[in-house]
Amino acid sequence: MKTRTEALLKSLIVLWVTAVIFAGFLLDIPRISILEHTARNLYFHVPLWFALMAAFFVSAWHSARFLSTEDLDYDVRASHAAMVGMAFGILGLVTGMVWARFTWYVGTNKWWNNDPKQVMAAVQLMIYGAYFVLRSSFDHSEKRARVSAVYNLFAAATVPFLLYVLPRQFQSLHPGAEGNPAFDEITHPIMRLVFYPAIMGFIALFWWIYSQRVRLTLLERRLEHE
Amino acid sequence: MNWLTGALAVLEKDVRLELRTRYAINTLLLFVISALLVVAIAVRNEPLSPSLRSVLLWIVILFSAIAGLSHAFVSEEERGTVLLLQLNAKPSSVLAGKLLFNLMLTFALNTVAALAFWVVIGFQEVDSATLIVILALGAIGLSGATTLLSAIIAKAVNRGPLFAVLSFPILVPLLLSVVNGTRSAIEGAGLDTVTSEVFTLIGYAGVLITASTLLFDYIWKD
Repeated sequence: MKTRTEALLKSLIVLWVTAVIFAGFLLDIPRISILEHTARNLYFHVPLWFALMAAFFVSAWHSARFLSTEDLDYDVRASHAAMVGMAFGILGLVTGMVWARFTWYVGTNKWWNNDPKQVMAAVQLMIYGAYFVLRSSFDHSEKRARVSAVYNLFAAATVPFLLYVLPRQFQSLHPGAEGNPAFDEITHPIMRLVFYPAIMGFIALFWWIYSQRVRLTLLERRLEHE
Repeated sequence: MNWLTGALAVLEKDVRLELRTRYAINTLLLFVISALLVVAIAVRNEPLSPSLRSVLLWIVILFSAIAGLSHAFVSEEERGTVLLLQLNAKPSSVLAGKLLFNLMLTFALNTVAALAFWVVIGFQEVDSATLIVILALGAIGLSGATTLLSAIIAKAVNRGPLFAVLSFPILVPLLLSVVNGTRSAIEGAGLDTVTSEVFTLIGYAGVLITASTLLFDYIWKD
C-alpha cells in the first residue's frame, strides 16, 4: 500500500537525482588540465560505484541473516540487492570506460584501460553473474537459497583482496594509486557541493529500486501461498 | 572419533580410493600435458617474455585445476556415500580431510606443471627458491578455494560448467599474485622482491580456509 510518506519519499528521490544531474552538467567546475569537462563524470562514476558497494554489503548482510534464520524473505532481499547492484555496477564500469577513453585515449581504439580497480570491479560483477548462474541450477528454493547464500559470503571474503590489497600493487589511473595524488588533493572543494549529494542520491535510488522489487516479490510469494 | 582422527580418516579414505582408480590425478596430469603441448606447438621457438611465460604456466595450471579439482565432493554425491560421511565424521573433519587431499593434488599438479613447462618451454634465469615458494602458496590457495566450491556445486543439477563459472572470480586475487610472483621468479629476482605477493597469498589462503570452515556446516547439513 502506498502511504503518503512513501509517495513523498519517491518524489524526493526523483527530484534529488534530477537536480544532481542538472547541477552536474550546468554548474561551473574548476578547469584541470587534461581532464577539463570530463571531470563532471566524477558526479556519476564514483556514486555509481558507491552504490555497487552498498548493494554488495546489503546482499552479503541478507545472505548472512538467511543462513542464521532460514527465513526465505532474506534470500529474496539478497538476490534483489545483487541484481540491482549489478545494474549499477555495469553503469559504473561503462562510465569509467567512457571517462578514460575521452580523457586519455582520444584517437585510439582503446576502451578497456586494464586499470586494476576497473578489472576488480569487473570481477565483482562476475561474482554476481556466477551467483545468478548458481541460483538457476537449483530447483528447490530452500536449497537454492542456502547454497547461494554460502557462495555470496564466500565470494565476499575475497572482495577485500580485490578492492584494497591488489590495486595498491599496480599502477593505475585512479587517484590514490602509485604515482597519483590522493582524491582529496585533486578534488576542488566546490565540486563537493554536487559530489556528496550525488553519492546520497544514487545510493537512495538504489535503495528505492531494490525495496520496490523486494516488496513486489514478497507480495507475489504471499499470493502463491494463499 | 575426535576431530583429528576423523580428518585423517577422511584423507586416508580418499587417498586409498584415488590409488585404486587414479581418476583425479590422471585428469589433472593429462590436462597439464595437453595444454602445455598446445602452447608449445603454437609458440615453437619464439622468444617469450617472462610475463608471457608466467601467465602461460598459470593458465595451464588454472584450466587443469578447474577440470580436475571439482571431484572432492561431487564424487561422494555420485557414489552415494554422502550419508556415510555425514554419520561417521564431524563436518569440520570432513572438510579438513578433503582440504588436505586437495592440497596433495594441487602440490602434485603445480610440481608436474612447472617441471613439464621447464622441459617443454623452459625458463630463463629462474630463481628456484622464489618459484618454489610461489608455487607452494599457490597450491594452498587453490586447494582452499576449490574445496568449498566443490561442496557448493555437489548438489546442483548441471554441475559441468558450474564449477568453472563459480571458481574463476574467486581465484582472480590468487592468479594475479602468483602470476606476478612467478614472473619475478623467472626474471631471476630473489625472495625479498616478492614479499607483497607472498603476504597476499598467505592472507588469501588463510581467509578462504577460514571462510570455508565457517560456511561448510550450512551446506553439509541438508
